[in-house]
Amino acid sequence: MKKPSLAGIITVIVLLLVNLPILVIIPSSFTAAGYLSFPPEGFSFRWYAKIFERPEFIDSFWVSLQLAVITAVLAALFGTLAAFALAKYKFRGSQVINSLLLSPLTVPSLIIGIAALLFFTRIGLAGTFAGLLLAHVLISVPYVVRLVLTGLSSFDFTLEKAGYMLGASPARVFWDITLPLLRPAIVSGMIFSFLTSFDNVTVSLFLVAPDTTTLPLAIFSYMQETLDPLVASISSVVILLSLVFIVILEKVYGLDRLFGLQSQSH
Amino acid sequence: MGRRLAVPLLLAPSLIILLGVFLLPMLLMLVLSLQNDQQQFSFENYLLFIQDPFYTGILWRTIRVSLWTVLFSLLLGFPVAIYMANASGKVRGIVTMLILAPHLISVVIRNFGWVVVLGEKGWINELLLSIGFIHEPLRLLYNELGVVIGLTDSFIAYMVLAIATSLYSVDQSLSKAAAILGASRIRSFFDVTLPLSLPGIYAGVTLVFSLSMSAFVTPSLMGGTSVKVLPVIAYEQVMSTLNWPLGAALSFLLLGSTILLVALFTRLAETKRYKEVFAS
Repeated sequence: MKKPSLAGIITVIVLLLVNLPILVIIPSSFTAAGYLSFPPEGFSFRWYAKIFERPEFIDSFWVSLQLAVITAVLAALFGTLAAFALAKYKFRGSQVINSLLLSPLTVPSLIIGIAALLFFTRIGLAGTFAGLLLAHVLISVPYVVRLVLTGLSSFDFTLEKAGYMLGASPARVFWDITLPLLRPAIVSGMIFSFLTSFDNVTVSLFLVAPDTTTLPLAIFSYMQETLDPLVASISSVVILLSLVFIVILEKVYGLDRLFGLQSQSH
Repeated sequence: MGRRLAVPLLLAPSLIILLGVFLLPMLLMLVLSLQNDQQQFSFENYLLFIQDPFYTGILWRTIRVSLWTVLFSLLLGFPVAIYMANASGKVRGIVTMLILAPHLISVVIRNFGWVVVLGEKGWINELLLSIGFIHEPLRLLYNELGVVIGLTDSFIAYMVLAIATSLYSVDQSLSKAAAILGASRIRSFFDVTLPLSLPGIYAGVTLVFSLSMSAFVTPSLMGGTSVKVLPVIAYEQVMSTLNWPLGAALSFLLLGSTILLVALFTRLAETKRYKEVFAS
C-alpha cells in the first residue's frame, strides 16, 4: 500500500470537519434529555414530537416550501427565456444584457435585501409574500441563465431548422426537440433555485412580515433566544429533505459542474 | 415569430424583475445614503463613518475576521486541492461530493452544528474535560475565533475548487519531469506546483475574502453580541434603529471597501507576476 501523503491526511481531516456540523446534529436530535449534551443522553423521539407543538415551525415550513417551489418555477421559466434570447439571437448589446442579468450575483445578498426593503416600502410591497417571492426570483434567475446558457453553447440550432423543414409547428419543435435537449440544464437550474430560496436568510430577513416568516429565519430567530434539542430535530428534518435534492442534483447534473459555474460568478 | 419581437419578449420578465427588485432599489438606496435627517443632500452619513472610531473599529474587525478566514481556508484548502489534482477520477469525484454536499445545506443549520460542537457544554469541551486535558471549558464560541471557524467552514469549498480547477489544467507530468531531473519534492513543490497554482490561489483568496466581508448569519450566530461586524451593524441600523440613510450608507461602504481591497490585492498580485516574468 502507498504511504499516505500529507495532502491526503489533511484532505481527510478537512472532509471530516466540513461534514462534522451536519453529523453531530442528527444524534443530538434523538436525545431524551431536556438540553443539548455530549454524549446525547438516552434515545427518544420527544424532540420530534415537540416540533408539532410549535406552530411557527410548521407554518414557516409551508411558507418556505411554497416560496421555494414558485421561485423555482418562475426563475427556471424567466431564466430559460432570457438565456434563449441571448444564445439564439445575436443582437447589439447582448453582452451588456448578459452582464446585467448576472449582476445580482456580484452584490452581497444582505445589500440586495436592504435595497429591496427601502424600495418596496415606497411601493407597498414590503412585508408581502409577493415582495418576498420577487426578491427570491431575482437572486435565482442568474444561476438559471448561467446553466441554460452553458447548455445552449453546445446546442445545435440546425436541429430546430430541420424540424421546421419537416413541417413541424414552432410549438412542436420546442417541445419535441429544444426542450428535451436542454432538460438537464433547466432541471438543475430549477433545483438549485429551490435550494437557494429554501435556504435563504439574508434577503428574507428584510422582507418577511411577522406572519409569513420562512423556516430558516424561524430557526435563526429561535437560535438567538434558546439553544435546545428542538433546533436539532427540526434541522435534521431539513437536512434529510436537502439531501434528497442534493442527490437528485448530483444525478441530473453533477455537483462539481454546478459549483464550477457558481464559483465563477462572484 | 420575428426576431424583432422575440428578443424583447423573451428578455422582458427577467429584465423587469432586475429593474424593479435590484437596479431601482440600489439607486434609491444611493440617493437615501446621501441624505441627512432633514432630507437634504449631504455626505453626513459617510463622514460619520470615517470620523467615528466606533465605525472604523467595526470595519477593521470585519477586515481582520475576513483575512483570518482567507488564511485558514488557504492553509486547509490548498492541500485538498493538491490531493484532488493528483487523485484518480473516482477519488476526485468522492472528494468533490463530500466537500460540496454540506455546502448546499442551510448555513443556519451548519452554524447550529458548530454551536453543538464548540459550545461551553459542547462535544470538544466535554471530551477534553472528561479526559482531564483541560480543567475549565475553552472559549471557542461567541468570539472572533468562533466566527472565523464558522466562515472557514462556509467558504473553504470555494477556495478548494478555485485552486483545484486551476491545477486540473496543468500538465501533471511537469512535476514528474522535475522529479526525473533530480529536483527534491520540496524543490519541485516550490518551483513547479506552487507557481502554477497561483492563479487559482488569487481567485480563491478574492472570492473567500468578498464572501466573508458580507457574511451576516455566521457572525450573528457564532459571534453573538460581542463580535459585531459591518453587515450586522448595517442590519441593526435598518431594522432596529430604523436609521435608513445610515444603513444605506453602511451598505455602500461595505460594498466599496470590499471592492477597493480586492482591487488592491489584484494589483499587488499582478505586479508580483510581472516582476517574476522580468526577473527570469
